[in-house]
Formats: sequence, structure tokens, C-alpha cells
Amino acid sequence: MFKKDLILRNPLRSFGRGGEEILAAGCFGAVLAPAGVGKTAFLVQLALNAMLQEKKVLHISLDEPVTKVSLWYAKLFQDLADRANLTRLDGVLEDLLPHRFIMTFKVEGFTVPKLEERLTDLTAQNIFHPEMVLIDGFPFGEADRERLMALKLLAGRLGVHVWFTVHTHRHEKPTAEGMPPALARAGDLFDVILQLDARGADITIQPLRGIASDAVENRLRLDPATMLIRDEG
Amino acid sequence: MKSDIQKVRNIGISAHIDSGKTTLSERILFYTKRIHAIHDVKGKDGVGATMDSMELEKERGITIASAATFCEWMGHEINIIDTPGHVDFTIEVERSLRVLDGAVLVLCSVGGVQSQSITVDQQMKRYKVPSIAFINKCDRSGADPARVIAQLRAKLGHNAVALQIPIGLEMNFQGVVDLVDMKALYFDGENGEVVRVEEIPAELRDEAAARRTEMVEAASMFSDELMEAALEEREIPREILISALRAGTIRRELTPVLMGSAYKNKAVQPLLDTVCALLPCPSDVENTALDMDNDESPVTLESNPDKPVVALAFKLEDGPYGQLTYIRVYQGSIAKGSTIVNVRTGKKVKVGRVVRMHADQMEDIESVSAGYIGALFGIECASGDTFVSQGVNLTMTSMYVPEPVISLAIVPKDNKAQINMSKALNRFTKEDPTFRCHVDAETNETIIEGMGELHLEVYVERMKREYAAEVTTGNPRVAYRETITQRAEFNYTHRKQTGGSGQYGRVAGWIEPVADEEFVFENKVTGGSIPTQFIAACEKGFRSCLSKGPKLEFPVTGVKIVINDGASHTVDSSDIAFQAAARGAFREGYAKAKPVIHEPVMKVVVETPTEFQGPVIGLLNQRRGMIVGAQDEGPMSVIEAHVPLAEMFGFSTALRSSTQGKAQFTMEFAMYKLVPQSIAEKIAEEVAARKKNAA
Repeated sequence: MFKKDLILRNPLRSFGRGGEEILAAGCFGAVLAPAGVGKTAFLVQLALNAMLQEKKVLHISLDEPVTKVSLWYAKLFQDLADRANLTRLDGVLEDLLPHRFIMTFKVEGFTVPKLEERLTDLTAQNIFHPEMVLIDGFPFGEADRERLMALKLLAGRLGVHVWFTVHTHRHEKPTAEGMPPALARAGDLFDVILQLDARGADITIQPLRGIASDAVENRLRLDPATMLIRDEG
Repeated sequence: MKSDIQKVRNIGISAHIDSGKTTLSERILFYTKRIHAIHDVKGKDGVGATMDSMELEKERGITIASAATFCEWMGHEINIIDTPGHVDFTIEVERSLRVLDGAVLVLCSVGGVQSQSITVDQQMKRYKVPSIAFINKCDRSGADPARVIAQLRAKLGHNAVALQIPIGLEMNFQGVVDLVDMKALYFDGENGEVVRVEEIPAELRDEAAARRTEMVEAASMFSDELMEAALEEREIPREILISALRAGTIRRELTPVLMGSAYKNKAVQPLLDTVCALLPCPSDVENTALDMDNDESPVTLESNPDKPVVALAFKLEDGPYGQLTYIRVYQGSIAKGSTIVNVRTGKKVKVGRVVRMHADQMEDIESVSAGYIGALFGIECASGDTFVSQGVNLTMTSMYVPEPVISLAIVPKDNKAQINMSKALNRFTKEDPTFRCHVDAETNETIIEGMGELHLEVYVERMKREYAAEVTTGNPRVAYRETITQRAEFNYTHRKQTGGSGQYGRVAGWIEPVADEEFVFENKVTGGSIPTQFIAACEKGFRSCLSKGPKLEFPVTGVKIVINDGASHTVDSSDIAFQAAARGAFREGYAKAKPVIHEPVMKVVVETPTEFQGPVIGLLNQRRGMIVGAQDEGPMSVIEAHVPLAEMFGFSTALRSSTQGKAQFTMEFAMYKLVPQSIAEKIAEEVAARKKNAA
């Protein structure tokens, strides 16, 4: 009951076409923004939405401990529920949590073979089979295309889609195709690219690739106070 | 008492069991002239080492309780807190780590970094305790300090830097080369008390020079002055080298390594010199307290003896003259005759005797000031209490005490054991707020409650050893709870007509679930259908049903009762009649409100070498665990999960066997959660079986 309410109220649905996922299996999506604009909050909302639909989400964080990642979920879930005016939510988040698995790595210790080994630990013992993967804090600055290629192959094998956060800098000039320099060498690997833009008191969500911009532009906003996605259409 | 805080060291000696920690402590006390003869740990001469004062420890050669011992070395005052080396005594360990400023990590030169050393190291990391390593037992065959240093780097991730190299090893272990002063040190005399300083033997000169260069390189990361001197290949002043090493040590970015053999009385004195030179003094370490007036927000304490007092009672001991309370003063000073306040109870206490302890002997002193460790006599308090000056409301430990989640019935063997058992329980409940006991009104059994299986086992063992109270224990029981999941109405009439005056009362209303409250009672009766004087009786009747729920006799929580109607009789209604009516109404409503069982779920955090991550996750999953996440931290991984307490019995053994004993875990209560249907049925069967047995 509560779950259904939350799904229906989720403005993210305007991304998907008729309830389908935005990304197909093996595809990459990226959320671009400078520090502090709400990349992680955005991803966590994607994850919560998937979890509400009983999909398994693997959240990989490369710079935050497990406890902190859990806090993101708890906070955003609470805000989401508050906005929907749903009371008596005790237990709903707890019911969702088995659909999530958090893995954290040190940035320098994160390699694709290591990730695959960890995932095999989980899938071989039938503990967790992810359907969606989030990677928060991947070091695009080093722009190693090979690592991303390997990840893409892995995603294809597992049949999952992957969302990345990409940390951009305000002073950087975009490339000729309008891509931030961080993605210059690997931009073609991404099927959907969204940019969060802080404009005045609002944060807009601009699709750079993969989604027709009129479907989203001027409609979706990130509330700067709660970092919740809002539909103004 | 001297008052140069720069010359005070509060240190712990942490180690793997059998790496010679207690022997080392014993030698330190001998060289600092606190004791005048040396005894062996295993007590061949029947006296035993001085630091282990508990029987159990003497027998097993391990240390459980942390005694604080004072000694002096080269003008420095050193307090040695004997820390338990065993993981299972966590409260003890955490309390003693709390009062330490630095530690000596003792390693065996043969065994090297063993799983227990990993545990101890993790604990020190958690409390950010700077440490120096001492590689003991260099006289044993198979001794290889260089290998241990490599393990310190690889397994524990320490930036380990040797300050010494051994002169000979195994049978031929003679002494050490000091790389700071570039001298050879030998230890003469019957007990190695005479340190003979000589030139480095010719065959070791090259190696010593190479190792010294390594050490200077490592230290130069912490001092620009040293870096310059090293680059310009100038003579390096001793002070600069020492201060660079010290800076690295205090920041926990460098671990100086010393070596020797405590048992053969070799190289203990240089260790003491290093403790004085490199480990922090109390004012180098930042300590924080929690402000009770400000939602327990942290406050930094100043180790200034003139400020208001903040002190922590970290250990209690029953002595021949009453209770002895070990305290560490963080701020201000506690003098004989002064008045202090126990934050937990709010009671004022007058300080009688102030003493300084040396294991079992003591010395009277005038006062204990900030940064020092001492003991007070005749102070009523529990372990972990904070003492402050009047008007201050700070606490060193959070006042939050979790509810026990597991219970165990204990039965004394005989009458003598009965008396001793009550003495022991009285003492333990004072020492540890999470340990409780009560007598079950129905079975007349003594029930002890605590935070986990091991927690209770340790106390049962201590009862036997320290108080000679032989007890038999029942099976541990998980503290399940009952609650309801929906609103239901009740309308119950209690009527009894058996000679004399009858009983009559009718109670109507509804029962509904409520979050975050144990029990709520609301009276919405209008028009006097239940006379006001009987409302309290109704509430009492409802309350009396809470301790044993109608479903499986577990305590009921999260229930709201609203009464809105009823009836009474002018003659036959009474308090008792309405209490009975309320009990009947509760049973009637409760049955319709879909009662369920909740079980305690623990937050389990396992720290394991990364290669065992898969098996550990599998192990947690088998136990109905919900894995929150896995954190990769280089050689170690941390796995966090929520696991029902009922499934955690025997977990430590299973964990040990599937990780070669290299993983450790902590467990704390997280929440109560609905029991799955299949498990609830099993619990119902168990309860039925238990009832049948009792009958």
C-alpha cells in the first residue's frame, strides 16, 4: 500500500517510458554535477525507486563508509515519505533494505577484477543478484577508458545497468560536443547523461544525451533544501 | 606528587595471549624498582606475576581485568594499564583503551603477527591509540624480527620502522644495537639490570648504518629540519630525530619497533626509554566529554589541574578495605577531602583516601590531577561513572544504556554458593550497567540478563572463580516481545455470583498499535458509564496484562488502549471486579488485533581479512542476516549486517573456524523486528515444550 503510493508519487516516472527502466541492461548512465549539487542524492532516489519496485540495487561507493551511505537512504526515504504525507512508515524502509547491498572500496583499491570477485561471492552463494548498479565517486579524472570498458563488459554479463556520478568543476570548459572534460575520452560509453545545474535557488536536471530534452527540461527540478526530485510539469 | 604533565605516560601493554605481555609488565616493574623479585607468569613458584591479580588469570596465564600500576623511569611517571588481550571481554577492553594515551604492542618474534594481534591492533586503531611495537622472545629458536616487521607492514598496515637491530638471535641473542645513538647495548647482571654500552660489533656496522638510513628517511617525513639535514648529509642532532619520530608516532603514521626478550631480561630498559621519549603525554591527546545539558554534544577537555574536575571511574575492585575505584582524571584535580558529584546518580561524594596503585599494594597520595590515574577508597559508584565538580554536567560515557536482549537462568549448587552468588551479582551489576539480574516470580529462578551469549558466560565463569559460587545454567533465552498489528474493539463483561457479594463490571473500547511507546491508556468514557473511581482499576487491569502477553507469554509493547463505554452495578462493582473486567477485555481485544512476535535484531560488524569476505557474508546470510554492506579497507574488510539475536548463538566459533581465527566481530542491539511466520511457529513450539517441562 505505502510502497504503491510512493511509486506513484515518484516524479522520476516521467523519465521512464511507461514504467520501463531508463537504461537497458549493460547500459551506462551518468549524473554530472559539481560538488555538493546533489549527485548522490539523485542516485539514491533512483535506487529507492527501483527498490520500491522490488528490484535489487548494488550501491558501490568509492569514498564514503557503509554507515554514511545507509544514512543517505534513511534520510531521503524519510523526506520522500514526508512529502507524500505518509505517516506510519515504520518497517517500510526495513522491508526495502534487503533489496539493497552497499559495497565500499578505497578509490585506489577499486578494480574491475576485484569487483567481479566480490560479486561472484554474492551470486555464487545466492545471496544477492543485482539488477541495477550505482557507482558513486568513480575517479573520472584519471579517465581510464579501459577500466570503464571492462566495467561495461561486466555489466553486460550480469545483465545490469550502471549509473555513475561524475564530478565536474565549474571552471572547466565543456568540449566541442558539450561534454565535460571528465567524460571527453569515455563519453561514447554512456547511453544517458544528465546534468544537474544549480541556477539561482533551483537545481535543474538537463538531459545531455539519451532522453528527449523536452520531456524533462523545465519540468524536473531538484529541491535544494531536501535534494528531492520534483516534477513541476 | 610531581606535576609536570609532560613527564606522565598512561600506557597499555597490548598483545596476543602468550606473547609475553605479563612477563614484560613484570620486568618493567622490576627495573623501575616497584617490585624486588621476579616471578613467572604460570606461577612455578606459587606467587605468580604481580599484575594478574585474579585467580582465573593466574591459572590460565591470561589477563582479564585491567589493573593500573604506577612506576617511575628516568624522571617520568608511568601508569601501566594492564589491558585484556582477549576479544570477548569487550567492555573491559574498551574502558581500558579509553584511559590510555599510548600503547606498547607486544609481538612474538617467532609467531609474528597472529590473528589476536590483528584484533588488538584494530581496537587500538578504533580508539586512535598511538603505539610502539616490541618484538619479544628474540631468544627463542625461530626468532626473526625482520619477518615480524614485514608482517607489521603487510598485515596491519603499519609504517613500521626499526629503531634497533638484534645482536645475535635465538640461543645467541646478546643485546641490541640502538640505531638512534648507534651504540651496542648489552644487559649484564643476574637480572639484566646493568646496561653496558659499547661500540657496534664490526660485523653489524654495515647493516646498522643501512637501517639507520631507513629510519631517518621514514622520520624525515615528519620534520622539515630533519629532511634538510638528511639531504645535505649533515650530522643529525639527536633531539631533531627524536622529535620527528615522536611526531610520527603520535599521529599514528609511524610505528617504532624495538626488540628484546623480557624473559631473558634483555632490552627492557631501552623500551622504557622509548616509551618516555616517543609516546604522548596526557596533554598531547585530545579528550572529549559529552555535555548533558546540550544533547550529549562533545566538549573538548583541557588537561589543566585548575579547571573543574572531570574524571572517569574505569575499574572497580573489591579490596580488603572496601570498594576501590580506579579513576582517570581528565580535567581539574581530585584531592583528599574534596567533594565531587557522580553525574549518573547526581549524588555528592566526599573523597576520603586517594591512593596510587601498584597491582595489589597501594600508596597514599594527596590528590590526583588532570592526566593522572589513581584510585579512590570508599566511593559508591559503578564502573564507567563520571565524576565532576559541582555545577558541571559533563559525562565521559554516554548515559544511554541498552536494554538486555538475552537472559539465562542460574541455579546455585548449594547454600554457600547461594550466598556467594548474590555477592557476586551485586558486584557485577554495579560494574556493568548492561548486566542485570532478577528473580522470576513464578519459577523462583535467578535470571541474569545481558547483551550477548559471551557476555553472560564471562560473568558465570567469574562467579565460579572469584566468588567460589558454583552455579548451573539453563539455556540462554532471547528476549522476544509481543505486539499487535491492527485496531480491534472489545466489550467485556465480568460477572461473578458465588456467595457473598458478587462482582460486576463491563469495559468497552478498542486496542490499537502505537509506535515508540510501550503502553498508552486513554479514558474516553462519558456520562459515568464507568464511575471515575474505577478508571484507575481499569488501567491497572490492562497494565497487569503487559508483562505476559496472551499469545506466547512474552512482554507486550506498543499497545494503546482506549476505553469509551462500560457499565457498573451499585453493589457488585469494585476495584477488583473492574481489574478483572479489564483483563478480560484485553484478552478479547488482543486476540482480534492480530498479535505478532518481535525479536531483537543485532547490528553485527565483522572485520575480516579480505580473502574471507565471501565466506563471512555467506555465514551471516545463513543466519537470517540482512547484509547492509561490505567495506573494503585494503587488507581488511568490514561487513555490516543485521542478524536476529536468536541466530547468533555459536557465531564466534563458526566465524573462527571459517576464517582461521582471523576475523573478529562486534555485536550491538539494533532494533526489534517482526519474526517470520515459520520461525514464530518454532518459537511457539519451544514455549509449549518449556511449559510442559515446568508443569
